[in-house]
Amino acid sequence: MAATDVNPTALSLQADLRRKRFLKMGLIWAIVLFFVAWCLQGTIIEDTDWARVGGRSGVLGSIGRYLTLDWGLLPELLIPTLETFMMACVGTVVGCFFSLPVAWLGAANVTPSKMILYPLGRFLMVLSRSVHEIVWALIFVSAVGLGALPGILAIAMRSVGFISKITAEAIENIDAKPVEAIRAVGGNQFQVMYYGILPQIYPVVLATVIFEWDINIRRSAVMGLVGAGGLGLLFFRQMNSFNYGGVSMVILAILLLIVLGEVISHYLRKAVI
Amino acid sequence: MAMQALTRCNAGQATAGRNDMAVLTVKDLRVRYSAKGPEILKGIDFEVEDDDFLAIIGPSGAGKSTLIRCVNRLVEPSGGSIHLLGEDVCSLNARALRGLRRNVGMIFQEFNLINRMSVMDNVLSGRLGYTGNIRSLFRAFPRKDVEQALYYLDRVGLSDHINKRADELSGGQRQRVGIARALMQAPKLLLLDEPTSALDPKISREVMALIRDIALELKVPALCNIHDVQLAKEFCNRIIGLQDGYKKFDGATDTLRDSDLDDIYAMEVL
Amino acid sequence: MTEQMPAPRPSDPPKWSRYQYPESLIKHGTLLAVLLFLGYSLHFLNVDIGLLIGALGRFAGVISERYYPPDLEYVLDRGYLEAILDTLQMSFLGGFAGVCLAIPLAWFSAWNVTPSRRLFFPIGRLGVISCRAIHETIWTILFVSVLGFGMLAGVSALTMFCIGFAGKLFSDEIEAIDMGPAEAMRAVGANPFQVFLFAVVPQVRVAFTGIAIYTWDVAFRAATVVGFFGGGGMGWYLKRNVQQLENLRVAAIILSIIAMVLVAEFLSGWLRATVNRAK
Repeated sequence: MAATDVNPTALSLQADLRRKRFLKMGLIWAIVLFFVAWCLQGTIIEDTDWARVGGRSGVLGSIGRYLTLDWGLLPELLIPTLETFMMACVGTVVGCFFSLPVAWLGAANVTPSKMILYPLGRFLMVLSRSVHEIVWALIFVSAVGLGALPGILAIAMRSVGFISKITAEAIENIDAKPVEAIRAVGGNQFQVMYYGILPQIYPVVLATVIFEWDINIRRSAVMGLVGAGGLGLLFFRQMNSFNYGGVSMVILAILLLIVLGEVISHYLRKAVI
Repeated sequence: MAMQALTRCNAGQATAGRNDMAVLTVKDLRVRYSAKGPEILKGIDFEVEDDDFLAIIGPSGAGKSTLIRCVNRLVEPSGGSIHLLGEDVCSLNARALRGLRRNVGMIFQEFNLINRMSVMDNVLSGRLGYTGNIRSLFRAFPRKDVEQALYYLDRVGLSDHINKRADELSGGQRQRVGIARALMQAPKLLLLDEPTSALDPKISREVMALIRDIALELKVPALCNIHDVQLAKEFCNRIIGLQDGYKKFDGATDTLRDSDLDDIYAMEVL
Repeated sequence: MTEQMPAPRPSDPPKWSRYQYPESLIKHGTLLAVLLFLGYSLHFLNVDIGLLIGALGRFAGVISERYYPPDLEYVLDRGYLEAILDTLQMSFLGGFAGVCLAIPLAWFSAWNVTPSRRLFFPIGRLGVISCRAIHETIWTILFVSVLGFGMLAGVSALTMFCIGFAGKLFSDEIEAIDMGPAEAMRAVGANPFQVFLFAVVPQVRVAFTGIAIYTWDVAFRAATVVGFFGGGGMGWYLKRNVQQLENLRVAAIILSIIAMVLVAEFLSGWLRATVNRAK
């Protein structure tokens, strides 16, 4: 048999390699599992009041409360659903407007100043994404008061980071040749951007905006929790009045809206590309 | 008419004395891309007269593309002077430079079309230097420009493709769009940067013939980078040979000997 | 050779218009409809456009007036630092559990290697989509109402969030694999689980590790607010101070969130780069 012909040193080398890899993977997993155990200890075992959770029957009972749907809430759902949808749309559009200058600053090849404005643009992108939409909403509620406006602004601010990041990357990756052509015919700065850069980036940007709009529907559904209207507000009210069937109805409405958004964005993306 | 242009020019005069008729005068042109980088052009002198169809030949890396891009300052020269249409190109500010560029039509190796725009919009974009921002924003070009564009599209044989997107066309057709765009500028000089090297030989010949005919018709001088010596001999009345940033040959096409070619392409043999 | 054509314009100018009958009408009609819808939305939502435009100016004013200077001493307090650690632990645990649960779901919901297209595929898809569709704050509120206040609810909510987030990325990754090895494994008579282990896992291991790290990063951002709805961690401090109108403390907390998220993002970027290099 061929197997008996194998060079013994090669075999031991192979075993050595395997052992080393095994040790390395084992070490990584050991660290991860240790962390998990530590976190379990810190968060769940120490922190949880198991008596309050109330055993299996308690949990199942609490879940069961949600399963009797409150169909009477149906007529009240329409307006908040519409509001949520509109908030997501307007928020996305406003976010696009904010994204344009940020992307312009944060794209290395078109930024007006590499030393000051480029880092600023990059920082704004990170800032927008690192602050959770709930926190943005809290800030705006305190700045402009309750209503749809803080929700719109929060969604817009949260969208800026992703849209401008992708846009800036698209600008950095454009084909330089049409730009050169527009410069060669004597086009000014604006014309170079509008004819040389914009046609190249707009499919990417549009696809990103549609993607972000889809996510923004999810976000706008919770804006009401901090005072910005829409389905979130209804959810909050149902929860506070312990109407668990109503809560389930609101969640169903959210799901329906999101499925709708996903279907629309699927077809829109096809139309763009 | 082509024959006239070919016979008119004689090699000695073109380089020897400075001629007031020259459209373009380049003196001691030097380029390096970065302060420590190698010098790409090492002191080039030549002139283009108002009925020249001048070819620049040379091995790849000789600096042909750089030379042609210096003329409208797509590449910044680091030394020497360029006088184009009576103006000192190197000393112009951004605004005046744009004013100069709109008088210089340029045709590119890779066509440099805006792929997602229609053929018509690509051709009309040749008028951007004459168009204000508001009009360009709505792509509302004057009626006269649209008519002119239709005429040139017909002239280059693309009447049937006006509303197609530029990336739907074949290579030869795209280069014809590029030609029409350059002509829209009503150019006083044509710069051709390897206009045929992305095309197959048959199409190359057609495209060169088209450019030469139109240049003669509009009485526009042309400066043309070309790596195909046969094409250069066939279509151009004067040839400049570059090698490694130096000018190795400058004279009428019929004075170009095989020994000159060996000299120009010496590096390529190695 | 050249025909003489002195007049650059023919006598009968050909006609061309930018606007073509059906396409332009549809395009501009859609644009108009979208604009009208947006305008109506502003009206419907009672948004004052002047206020919207002025909001940014006011925003700067409000920030400098109410939130400056941030009460940095407050965030260096021992209790708050422990809350940061809690948040970190929650995000780690939620991310870990989420990724562990997302892998089988992603396997089920990947059309090309799913064990059964009739049974497991819909289960996997539905699981991932419903976890994704519901926002993490809503998950938090639901779990708090079932499990009571505390980090157990927070971790559960983060787990659901991570299943949705990682599950989608995982199944996209699985659907993009080279099917050659899977076919070979099927040809030698392997069952779906063996196909998954021997043909899929080796191809997606590195990508999965990267996604898992990214999931933790995103989970950390979400973890900063689950406490706001009773899930434990930094968010609880945020809620208390927002309700007590302690604006300077709120500013400090938000700054600390930003700082922590930046650190997490940097760390996850570095880890992902390391994993990619080690592949």
